[in-house]
Amino acid sequence: MNTVQKKILSLTAIVLFIMVAIWFILTYYNQKMQDQYNDILQRYLQMNEVSASSQQLVTSLNNYIQTPTPSKLSNVEGDRQRLLNAQLQIADLRNNSNHFTLTNYLNLIDSLVDSTNRSIRLLNEKNNEEALNDFTEATRLSKYISEMTLTLLGTELQTYDQFYRGMIMQSVELKKLGVWMLALFTFLLLLFTYWFSLSITRPIQRLTQAARELSRGRFDTHIEIYANDEISFLAKTFDRMRININNLISEMQHKAQLESELQKNKLLLQESQLRSLQSQINPHFLFNTLDTLSKKAYLEGSVETSDLLTSVARLLRYNLKRLDRPVTLYEEVHVLREYIFIQQTRFTERLRFEEEVDEACLYVQIPGLTIQPIIENAVIHAIEPLEEGGMITFRVRDEGPDVIIEIEDEGSGMSEEKISQIMEERFSSQEGDGHSTGIGFGNVINRLRLYYGREDVMAIQSEVGKGTKVILKLPKEREAG
Amino acid sequence: MRKLVIVLLSAICMILLGFTLSSFIHVFHYNLSAPSNMGSANKSGYRLILITQEMDTPFWDKVENGAAKAAAKYGAELEVWGSYGTNQEDFLKNMEIAIASKVDGILVQGLNTDEFNQLATVKAAGNGIPIFTIANDVPIEDSLRRTYIGSDHYKAGQMIGTQLAEDLGHKGKVVLMVSDRQEDFQSKRLDGILNILKFYPDIEPITVIAGDTREKVVTATNEIMNKEPKVAAFVSVTANNASAMVQEIGKRAQLSRFHIYSFDDSPEIKTLLKEKKMSGIIEQSPEMMGELGVQLMVQWLQGETFPLKYEGYYTDIRLLKADELS
Repeated sequence: MNTVQKKILSLTAIVLFIMVAIWFILTYYNQKMQDQYNDILQRYLQMNEVSASSQQLVTSLNNYIQTPTPSKLSNVEGDRQRLLNAQLQIADLRNNSNHFTLTNYLNLIDSLVDSTNRSIRLLNEKNNEEALNDFTEATRLSKYISEMTLTLLGTELQTYDQFYRGMIMQSVELKKLGVWMLALFTFLLLLFTYWFSLSITRPIQRLTQAARELSRGRFDTHIEIYANDEISFLAKTFDRMRININNLISEMQHKAQLESELQKNKLLLQESQLRSLQSQINPHFLFNTLDTLSKKAYLEGSVETSDLLTSVARLLRYNLKRLDRPVTLYEEVHVLREYIFIQQTRFTERLRFEEEVDEACLYVQIPGLTIQPIIENAVIHAIEPLEEGGMITFRVRDEGPDVIIEIEDEGSGMSEEKISQIMEERFSSQEGDGHSTGIGFGNVINRLRLYYGREDVMAIQSEVGKGTKVILKLPKEREAG
Repeated sequence: MRKLVIVLLSAICMILLGFTLSSFIHVFHYNLSAPSNMGSANKSGYRLILITQEMDTPFWDKVENGAAKAAAKYGAELEVWGSYGTNQEDFLKNMEIAIASKVDGILVQGLNTDEFNQLATVKAAGNGIPIFTIANDVPIEDSLRRTYIGSDHYKAGQMIGTQLAEDLGHKGKVVLMVSDRQEDFQSKRLDGILNILKFYPDIEPITVIAGDTREKVVTATNEIMNKEPKVAAFVSVTANNASAMVQEIGKRAQLSRFHIYSFDDSPEIKTLLKEKKMSGIIEQSPEMMGELGVQLMVQWLQGETFPLKYEGYYTDIRLLKADELS
């Protein structure tokens, strides 16, 4: 996982690496130069050492000749050894251009040592004059050595001239390189750091922006952050939270809507009940009276009138009792038949009623007085206005999880506009007028919807002049809620 | 705007990168390698030294050239040491250093002085260092030199003498201008001239000893011209006196009246010869001297040429006459 910490660490590592690399390169070259300088100085020092030690040898030899004591002799010996050591070292300094001179130089040293030795020997042999001669020669040779040292140094300078100049130029260039490298890497690092910090702060900024949006109540903006670190994780979680909140809010809104609709419908129901109470001052009295009338008609031999009165009484009773409780479809169909009987008595031949009922579906529970108003509506609109009457077909059939109830008439039908008006309950509440039970079409729709909690419980198929078909789709199992 | 910034930044980046790279290349361009040490390994070639008193004179430049050529050919190492303006002290010091440096062989312009002979006999012979004289000889008895390479000065003197006699028509006074230094070549030349002239009793040679410097030559010329107004010919026996002498004679009288001879063939003298201010000069072969000297030295050191001719190896000489030049 690529974390912010890892990013910071890697940046630090890169910076560190570059710094160390530069440091190494520069130090390496400086060291190399220093070594070269040291070598050169070493050469000069060695040459100078020969010159100095040869002079020293001559001096101590002189002292020894003045007063020949063993300690002075050992001085001479020491100086001679020193000179020979220096000679040994200087032999390694040979190169192409000083080859000849260096050989001469080494031989000169040998000659000096020889002269010294000879001088000491002669002195020991008490041959003072010859010893002095050799001493003079040694002095001269020492002088020549010094001169030749200068010559050698001169040659050295000439030989190394190009090299020295190169070194100076290189050190200047190295300095320049250091400056340029510093500038370049500073620039690159600045850029890189900027880019890098952006890669951390930009997602945070966007997250902040998203949080601000959220706090202002805008829950529908999608939060998307392309990054490969914790910020991205944070953003994802934040987005999920936003979606959850969004869902919860919409659910709440939905519930509130349902609640308000329920309230509205309750009011509607109460109103209609009140109205029915108003219009029917004493339904029981009316019902009892109708019963009495029926019996009386029966006793008087008017069986048809008696049956009609019984039907009216039953319809009335059903109307009174079963309004706010679910009933079975069976009861509804039963009541429907009573109503049709009454209406057939009224319209005689004009009303033709056909029913195709699947008895197996009649156990389904539905709100009371839902089908009768629809039939009544059909009677009002498709039978009453027409002199020749019409046919009303009632079907109940099983269709999978639903029970389908169709009420079809052959009336004048209605326009699309009107259908949508009905479906959207834009009909005034006065539409209950003219109905025997006081319950209108809109009321039925509302109750059905409330009862099943579904919008598609009723559909109307109609065309002007071609009749109307109302289809109720009732689920066998009532959904919860 | 964003694009502009990006372009600008990358441009800066490229510039910096370019400078850094060029600087980098510069640093590595100086491939510093110090002249490599050869360690103490010795080169196998013989170490020879050519010592002269007259560095950077045309004559000795030619000797050096010839010697260098031969040294390269025989794989010897040659170094030329010299002093300027016949500085004897420096010259002798060079000799001493060369001997003390234990070189394999010394080619030296002979100088007939006691110091030189002392060095050559005691030091050089004592250390077993062979000394060849070149161009100027010293008597072998004094110096123990191995051999001499150069012109046959006696023969040169004879050539001048013969020419002189011919030009003068066997009579007249001749001034022989010599240096006060008793150089071997000078005495040989003088011998050569006098040996010829003694066959012509009418020719009277007058030997004038002048100094080394120009002033002394001028003074000596003046004196002899005052003393002997009827001089018909001048001979500059030493090499370097001719131009001063000619100049002085030219101041006093018409040069064409005199026959003037020299043993020197420096460009100055050659110009004088071309202008017919001189009658004749001896031309030597300096390059051949150098070449032959080194060659003989190497061969002798290798034991190929043995024994050496003690009297010396003579290089070509030629008499250049003014009449023949034009």
